[in-house]
Amino acid sequence: MADNMDHYLDNDEKTVVILMTSGPSTPHRCATPFYLGAIMASMDVEVHVFFTMEGVRLMQRGVAESFAAMEGGKKIIDFIRDAKRAGVTLHVCQPALPGYKIDEDNDLIDEVDEVSRASVLADLVLRSDNVITF
Amino acid sequence: MECNGCEFHSELYYDSEYQIWLRREHDDSLTVGMTDISQTIAGKILHVRVRRPGTVREPGKPVATIESGKWAGPIPNFIHCVIVEGNIEVLENPVLLNSDPYNAWIARVEASAGVDAALDTFLTGDAAHEGYCRRAREEDIHCQRKVR
Repeated sequence: MADNMDHYLDNDEKTVVILMTSGPSTPHRCATPFYLGAIMASMDVEVHVFFTMEGVRLMQRGVAESFAAMEGGKKIIDFIRDAKRAGVTLHVCQPALPGYKIDEDNDLIDEVDEVSRASVLADLVLRSDNVITF
Repeated sequence: MECNGCEFHSELYYDSEYQIWLRREHDDSLTVGMTDISQTIAGKILHVRVRRPGTVREPGKPVATIESGKWAGPIPNFIHCVIVEGNIEVLENPVLLNSDPYNAWIARVEASAGVDAALDTFLTGDAAHEGYCRRAREEDIHCQRKVR
């Protein structure tokens, strides 16, 4: 066995909520949440990303495909797909959709797991071990 | 053997998406590594962490996590197994996964139901080669093993 145990993962299984309020107007804020979510999900953490406010626009068809956090960088949709593959659950805030003229039946990308009420976010926050806001 | 410049070893065992390879060792443990396709997609790998030795892993529970500059995610696991050890060379120098993906194993595991039962669920030989090449062609993946 290696002497340096820092290389080994030994965390308990936990639940983390990432509250995503950033959207296309602040592209530099739109990749890290998914990167972090993917790492945590790979560590057996139950990760929920809840999109609200401008964050819901990232779940609108054609938006996350169209820009990157940094010029010339990987598209946001690919960060989203990496997070999904790692096991992250994506919730979209239903009350936020009308303000951005997003139709929940026709305009959301296939990666969305749940269209959720605010009460779902409240439940997630109350039962989670950590909440991270971007 | 190569497809689109992606190295392939017919004696190894692969999952259906050719993300990982498994090699049966003399003591019937299994070493786990990333395929050339996987390391190419990930880009320069900066950090690897393996589950602590002795940890039981169920199918779907990763054996390790990988971080590169543009990608973060699991080394997927498809079998019920126990972690025996991580490859300390790779843990201390993760870029070996890019430069030499088939020698730079990540973890060694013991299959709970026996090695034969575990390997039954993986692809090897000509069938694996065909699927590996198909993925490289269909996704237009051209592998690079130089340290980036």
